[in-house]
Amino acid sequence: MTAVAMYDGAVALGGRTIWEHATFSVARGSITAVLGPNGAGKSTLLNTVLGLVPLASGELEVLGSSSHRGSRRVGYMAQSRLADQQSTMTPRDYVGLGYDGPRYGWGRDRAKRSGVQRALALAGAASYADRPMRNLSGGQRQRVALAHAVVFEPELLLLDEPLAGLDLAAQAEIVDLINLIRDSTGATIVVVAHDLNPLAPIVDHVLWIARRRVRSGTIDEVVNEAVLTELYGHPIEIVVTPRGRRVIVGLEEEFAHPHPHGHDHTHEDAHQHLAEVYPESPS
Amino acid sequence: MSLSQLLALAFVQHAFYAVTCVALAAGPVGYFVVLRRQAFAAHAIGHVGFAGAAGAVLIGLSPVTGLLVFCLGAGLLIGVGGAELNDRDAVVGVTLTAALGLGVLFISLYTGYADATYSILFGQILGVTWDDVYLVAALSAGVLLVLSLCYRPLLYASVDARSAEARGLPLRRLSLLFMALLAVTTVVAIQIVGVLLVFSLLVAPAAAAERLSSRPWSAIGWATVIAVASAWLGLFLAVWWGGPVSFWITALASSAYLSARLSERVRARVRRAAA
Repeated sequence: MTAVAMYDGAVALGGRTIWEHATFSVARGSITAVLGPNGAGKSTLLNTVLGLVPLASGELEVLGSSSHRGSRRVGYMAQSRLADQQSTMTPRDYVGLGYDGPRYGWGRDRAKRSGVQRALALAGAASYADRPMRNLSGGQRQRVALAHAVVFEPELLLLDEPLAGLDLAAQAEIVDLINLIRDSTGATIVVVAHDLNPLAPIVDHVLWIARRRVRSGTIDEVVNEAVLTELYGHPIEIVVTPRGRRVIVGLEEEFAHPHPHGHDHTHEDAHQHLAEVYPESPS
Repeated sequence: MSLSQLLALAFVQHAFYAVTCVALAAGPVGYFVVLRRQAFAAHAIGHVGFAGAAGAVLIGLSPVTGLLVFCLGAGLLIGVGGAELNDRDAVVGVTLTAALGLGVLFISLYTGYADATYSILFGQILGVTWDDVYLVAALSAGVLLVLSLCYRPLLYASVDARSAEARGLPLRRLSLLFMALLAVTTVVAIQIVGVLLVFSLLVAPAAAAERLSSRPWSAIGWATVIAVASAWLGLFLAVWWGGPVSFWITALASSAYLSARLSERVRARVRRAAA
């Protein structure tokens, strides 16, 4: 059973190919990490699954049908923004918008109250559900954002950088929560991340996007020296620490100095940078 | 003349009904203006309206017609051109300047009595007729009806555009719709407080309300209460003591904002002291 299946997919934005020949599938109930350099098209991949960005070619099936906008069966957590840090809204109201925000008209939904409460409880955010969001910590806000995304107990949950900007302890808590959501709702979860290590204990499957290509497989199948070296076009080394964490050497440009405006950092920039450092790398 | 006699005067009653209708619409619309950080757009639409009114007077139409046409046009232009946050300030600024330039041209071409221009700039609440009251009431009711039907999607798109888009909401169309509502509300408010003081009813009450409550419904309630109270009290003070109505309304609404900020500080200090 697959939740998402892409066959030979390609995406172009503004005439520029973001990635192409992407073929992969995501098994139901699995957790998949989407990795790769800034600007490689990780968020774009989520947008195609959401039906916000059409494929330039190829085929995409989401939960058994072609992807379409606004499905309740797909939950989505956007990358956290500055606005949340200043918001005076309470988590309960915000999660409530996830419930009936898209509905026009005057009617009230009697099930809303319990649905919102259930989502807050699942995300462990019930104890601060009535405090203004700007008074919460980064980790608490991410729990609220997760509650917002799971308010309909979606079958497929797409998370864009849920660990960004969190300290290590908060990261570990959110990773546990993602695992808990999968176990208790059976949802298929796709997580965009810039570091595999915090997620590695719960991840079944990896999609690595670089240089317009998408590689998929288990962690061991994708995150190994041969595959990454081939994907990046220059030598990549992987050192595994005694506690099982992977240090990937050769990606320093992308990971050591993340671009302050992630999405402005275009693929061409990254590619040109690689070409300067490794003149022999194929284009 | 006693107070009861003053309040029984027809023009005072007209003014009372008109400010009430305007304040009832301006409170809720203002909440979204503040939430969407579009105070500058609200400001610009008012000034564009000035050019429209001056142009309408020039060719012999009623100023309200010119106001409506120009304000709606400016609202849609800003909605389309400024959909991206990055472009918004520039689009609004250019629209504002171009319209003010036109306004200056129209006034210089107009050779008649300049009273119409003055009342557009500073309001003419004590000169409204029953017909004006009906128009203001109809437009305000229309704005409130549409706003209440689109309340949740508009709130969702204003608070978390990315999630709202992922759930299928049309962000651009919602933005256009809101600019149209804002334009109509501006036209109505201009009748009362004039172009220069449109902020006093559209932004100040809502900005104060945002400090007083974190729940959307209660913030909208506060904004409406502050707008209506400023309007009523302003009208009363102008009739009783003298001075322009728009001055009193502006002074009261601004004081409400200042008081809200002060009370927020005091509450924070009390909470710290208690902890």
